[in-house]
Amino acid sequence: MNGHRKLLWMILTGLAVGTVSVLLVLQGNPKNMGFCIACFIRDTVGALGMHRAEAVQYVRPEVIGLVLGALIASLAGKEFSATGGSSPFTRFILGFFVMVGALMFLGCPLRMVLRIAGGDLNAVVGLAGFTIGILVGIFFLNRGFTLKRAYRQNKLEGLLFSGVQLALLIMLVVFPGVLLFSEKGPGSMRAPILLSLGAGLLVGILAQRTRLCMVGGIRDAVLFHDNYLLIGFLCVLAAALVGNLLTGNFHLGFVISAEAAQPIAHTDGLWNALGMVLVGFGSVLLGGCPLRQLILAGSGSGDSAVTVMGSAVGAAVCHNFGLASSGAGPTGAGKIAVVAGLVVTAAIALCNTRKTD
Amino acid sequence: MNYLATFHTHFGALSLQRALKKQGITAQMMPVPRSLSASCGVCIRFTAETPDSAHGAEDLDALYLETDGAYSPLFRGG
Repeated sequence: MNGHRKLLWMILTGLAVGTVSVLLVLQGNPKNMGFCIACFIRDTVGALGMHRAEAVQYVRPEVIGLVLGALIASLAGKEFSATGGSSPFTRFILGFFVMVGALMFLGCPLRMVLRIAGGDLNAVVGLAGFTIGILVGIFFLNRGFTLKRAYRQNKLEGLLFSGVQLALLIMLVVFPGVLLFSEKGPGSMRAPILLSLGAGLLVGILAQRTRLCMVGGIRDAVLFHDNYLLIGFLCVLAAALVGNLLTGNFHLGFVISAEAAQPIAHTDGLWNALGMVLVGFGSVLLGGCPLRQLILAGSGSGDSAVTVMGSAVGAAVCHNFGLASSGAGPTGAGKIAVVAGLVVTAAIALCNTRKTD
Repeated sequence: MNYLATFHTHFGALSLQRALKKQGITAQMMPVPRSLSASCGVCIRFTAETPDSAHGAEDLDALYLETDGAYSPLFRGG
């Protein structure tokens, strides 16, 4: 791909992600949640009974589509590569705490952008925290942080995560009786399965082709003055903003009105910011945001698959131990978990930083 | 000649960049061109008479000769 075509694809991808997100909300997904990788992994974990928060249980076809879309695109482009072995358990722990941070804020970086596009100013506070987290991560990258290299693995190692997604899809379509389904709350709000799956597939394919990454956008702009990924980030924002304005889903403010909060959000600025500091910091150390981890997992990275599993366990723990925030605000246990996450992530960063020769 | 070295880790790229700078070779770190890899790693682009300075660099993935924006592989690791 030459420079202009590459940029055009990134612009189209960003616009597609933003537009599809608005469409998914119109078709039933929760407000400002056309896509949210953290929330959707949490919902899927809930549907499997790994946590018992009844309002957030549903196997989200979007996640399945994202992974399988990346698999298809990487196979078609002969870029599928089974790799693994780059500090897997450290990645698991980082993935765990990225989820803790995301559920403090109530959204992954992609939903943060979608929330901003819906007028939710709490997400602007989140963006400030996210940027700080990325800068802290870059500080360690520049000082020699490394999780060591990954190695080629047996092809099956790279395919198994997609196999798990396929199994989840079969359970959802053929044996839904074995899964839990929310009857009220965000988990009960869902676009039709085919639409959700198709949206995931489309975004998965485009994100694999363009390397779209919410963390990478700010990281590359700071590190290399390279705005390619950031343009994708901004196009998601622009398309979702226009879509929300056209469909009456744009409400500027920290709350919609004295009576109504922003959808699935809280107004505690400090903890919105700190949650996203943790997400940004952890994601830079991992080399990509939660969306990017799903795409890499579909493309054969066992390390990213382990990271997603860390996030899945993190989601279950967050809901089993009351760490996740709600519209009412953060919880005391959640605050302790975020501080612990910052300490552990900083310790991981320090212990894996070594001098260049 | 312009060369481009890709790496398995950010650390590898950083190490080579610093090593090249010590030798007085200008080296620029940048995202790996999409045509070379679907990964989101970084690479080092440097100008030198020969690519020898990059051989044996830690975590080196591949080394390319760059001519008019096209990359021809000189070395590919496992």
